[in-house]
Amino acid sequence: MNYPLWVVPDLGGSWVIGIISIIHIFISHFAVGGGIYLAFAEQLAYKRKDERIYNFLKSHSRFFVLLTTVAGAVTGVGIWFSVSLVSPDGIASLIQCFTLAWAEEYLFFVAELATAFAYYYTWDRISREQHLLLARLYAIFSVFTLVIINGVLTFMLTPGKWLSSHWWFDGVFNPTYFPSLAIRLLIMLAIAGMYALVTCTRIEEPKFRTFMVRYCAKWLLPVFLLGPVCMLWFLSQVPHSVLGTIFTGIQNSGVGNFSILARALYISLVLSGTILLFAFFGPFLNPRGFTFKVAILFMICGFAATGTTEWMREMLRKPYVVYNYIYSNGIHKDEIEKIADEGFLHRGKWSTALTAATPTDEFHNGEIVFRYQCMACHTEKGYRSMKKLLGQRDEQAIISFLQILRERDPQKNNYSNIMPPLAANDAEMKSLAKYLASINTDEREKNTAHRSPASDHSISMK
Amino acid sequence: MVSESSQSRNGNFLQKFLKERLPVEELQHLAEKKKVPVHKHSVWYYMGGIAAVLFAIQVITGVLLMVYYVPEINSAHASILKINSQINFGWFIRSLHSWSANLMIAVVIIHLFSTYFMKAYRAPREFTWWTGLVMLVVCLAFGFTGYLLPWDDVSFFATKIGLDVASKIPAIGGLIAYMLRGGDIVSQATISRFFMIHVAVLPLVTLAVLGAHMFFIQVHGIAEPAFFKKLPEEKRKYEKFFPEFMFKDILVWLLAANVLFVLTMLWPWGIGPEADPFAAAPLGIKPEWYFLAPFQFLKLIPPMVGPIEGELFGIILMSLVGLGFVLVPIYDTGVSESRSKISTAFGTFVLLGVILFSLWGALS
Ligand code: HEC
Ligand code: HEM
Repeated sequence: MNYPLWVVPDLGGSWVIGIISIIHIFISHFAVGGGIYLAFAEQLAYKRKDERIYNFLKSHSRFFVLLTTVAGAVTGVGIWFSVSLVSPDGIASLIQCFTLAWAEEYLFFVAELATAFAYYYTWDRISREQHLLLARLYAIFSVFTLVIINGVLTFMLTPGKWLSSHWWFDGVFNPTYFPSLAIRLLIMLAIAGMYALVTCTRIEEPKFRTFMVRYCAKWLLPVFLLGPVCMLWFLSQVPHSVLGTIFTGIQNSGVGNFSILARALYISLVLSGTILLFAFFGPFLNPRGFTFKVAILFMICGFAATGTTEWMREMLRKPYVVYNYIYSNGIHKDEIEKIADEGFLHRGKWSTALTAATPTDEFHNGEIVFRYQCMACHTEKGYRSMKKLLGQRDEQAIISFLQILRERDPQKNNYSNIMPPLAANDAEMKSLAKYLASINTDEREKNTAHRSPASDHSISMK
Repeated sequence: MVSESSQSRNGNFLQKFLKERLPVEELQHLAEKKKVPVHKHSVWYYMGGIAAVLFAIQVITGVLLMVYYVPEINSAHASILKINSQINFGWFIRSLHSWSANLMIAVVIIHLFSTYFMKAYRAPREFTWWTGLVMLVVCLAFGFTGYLLPWDDVSFFATKIGLDVASKIPAIGGLIAYMLRGGDIVSQATISRFFMIHVAVLPLVTLAVLGAHMFFIQVHGIAEPAFFKKLPEEKRKYEKFFPEFMFKDILVWLLAANVLFVLTMLWPWGIGPEADPFAAAPLGIKPEWYFLAPFQFLKLIPPMVGPIEGELFGIILMSLVGLGFVLVPIYDTGVSESRSKISTAFGTFVLLGVILFSLWGALS
């Protein structure tokens, strides 16, 4: 609408954001959990006056600081960059809601970076008490970055009272804020433990190694003891219609569009269970056999579990960016009716400019509508491709489909749980149909040429 | 090993109870005596175990599928549709069975080549190797018979073509194909036979052969590759089978089960339209990936090679390759360096050929 869009062929822009985000989430969770871990482990070293733990922490923190600051910052900027290219209208609204929160997030991030470097460079240079203090300060700043970003992330799923008050405070401290904060903290501790396990495998001395491996494995316990309770708390705050989507999926998984949510839920549950078993049979029961390679495999499990859980959270709020407020394609829910009367293309600055030169080129206009309204979730021929999903529909059948998609009443539009309603006037809808019909021409032809006339199946035929 | 804290009084009681009734100590002793060499190719020692776990999953999911599957020509396809869409978690069991079957064949092939290149077939492990080869044939037979059961479009034609090829085997081919089909055409009789072979004959054969395979492994211990044996005593590192290797084995199984689970969840197994024996074959029909290599190979041979029919020539050539695998333990006993090299070259040649023809078949 108002901004130019980046077309990512085949993969789709949402996957670009998704991949960067999952890496970023893993690293940032690891940064926060790791901060807490370093503070506690240093306290342990201090209490036990154990040089070996100090040495361990020194080598552990080297890679840790490097990874969390560099990779964290790069992927963080990467998210902003890709989101503003792929879904500029959605992110514009989010920035407007939370200008203050974003600014604070930035401050805490800078403070976190500063303490991280101070912490790393002052090893052996300042007194042990002072260094412990720095470690704690670092832990506190990194937790505060979570305290804020968690507000924005949960707001998107459960905007709660904000929808009527529009007060930023209601938006940040929304219904799922606290359960989500708790779950994320637990996950962070687990990831910190997993990473420390990797470093532990480098310890030479067998007895100390066994001690540290067991100590790190225990960092996974909180999430398994308290995680399920927090998850139920979280789910109890989620809108009923969203839960409904999960349960429809559970009843008929394997068929139907809704089931992917339920299937993602199963994956996330099973991966979490795997991590528990892995921690038990690996580092806990067999600390001596827990080698570097195994530790890396364990990290990969953790990465996969985080990835699917975040992916599921993202899917939960589809087709919205902000639940019940802005759709995934950046269109506000309450604008749809007006757009249906007045037309879509002339509302946004950029789309007006794009169509100004060719007002009567239906194909071109249809492509613009597709890019602004459908490309947030679909591609032409790649991921969730129009070619496949349209199947053998011809232009007329596509128009009937779009007419259903244009209905705002969920009773009449059975896609309302997975797709935003089409926001377009009649002419724009016809243009879109014309454009879409050009994508799946081969599919339609395949139908007529499906069977070969020859009946010789011998494979040596030439 | 059990941690000190968990060796509580209850634990001791249980241990005592079991010790009095079972040969716990002997078994533990046996497991602790067995040791696994640690070197840079140790990963391959996990492959056999993964195959065994996947086989166990096949047995369990297979039994569950039998509850609803109907091996009858008019109901087979419908019963699979019902499993996929109406039975609670039916789609899940079926997808597990299909994915696990494919993974198992892949893992068994990897296991075969890894033991081949580590030369684990040499004396005294010839029987381990031969029972292994039987297992490979059994796995492929599982795949071939199971593929027909859903009775959909592609499975029908793939079976028809497969049996046509088999009938080209000199002397016995025609008879074998006729008996498997239960006549001249793929029909109800074929479904019945394939079903019986798939759910009764092959599992029993597997249990027996797999039992023998495991027995030989237990008797001989894990093979040490030649480069490892040559290392000086102090450089040869070992891991006890119990507990170190076994706990790692469990971790690997967990991971394998997760790979299977994620595949099942993200790409549940579909089903094509019901087979229509009177229709023409769909365009570009291909067999399952593990039969692609021979399929593509046969396709490339001209109709006549000298006086011999092309397909027959291809079959003879492939049989010779198979014979090479059967005879390799006798040929390469580890005494002659040149024979060892030739065997490695032969294996590499076959492996590359299989990969090349499979890719070629998949892409064409
Ligand atoms: C919020 C994301 C989202 C947006 C935006 C979106 N879709 Fe979809 N669409 C989906 C999902 C999810 C499915 C189900 C996909 C599946 O079954 O694999 C789907 C399915 C479809 C299907 C197949 C429906 C069927 O009956 O099989 C069509 C056609 C389609 N979308 C067209 C569109 C068009 C045209 C637009 C733009 C006006 C659009 N979509 C916008 C998410 C979206
Ligand atoms: C379902 C099929 C099979 C199962 C379940 C299975 C299982 C196993 C297991 C558990 C081991 C011990 C651990 C290991 O070295 O991996 C093993 C070893 C072995 N297998 Fe298999 N196997 C199967 C098929 C095969 C095949 C197809 C071959 C090759 C023809 C083969 C040849 C061997 C050999 C030679 C060994 C000894 C390896 C050594 O001592 O290092 N197996 N198998």
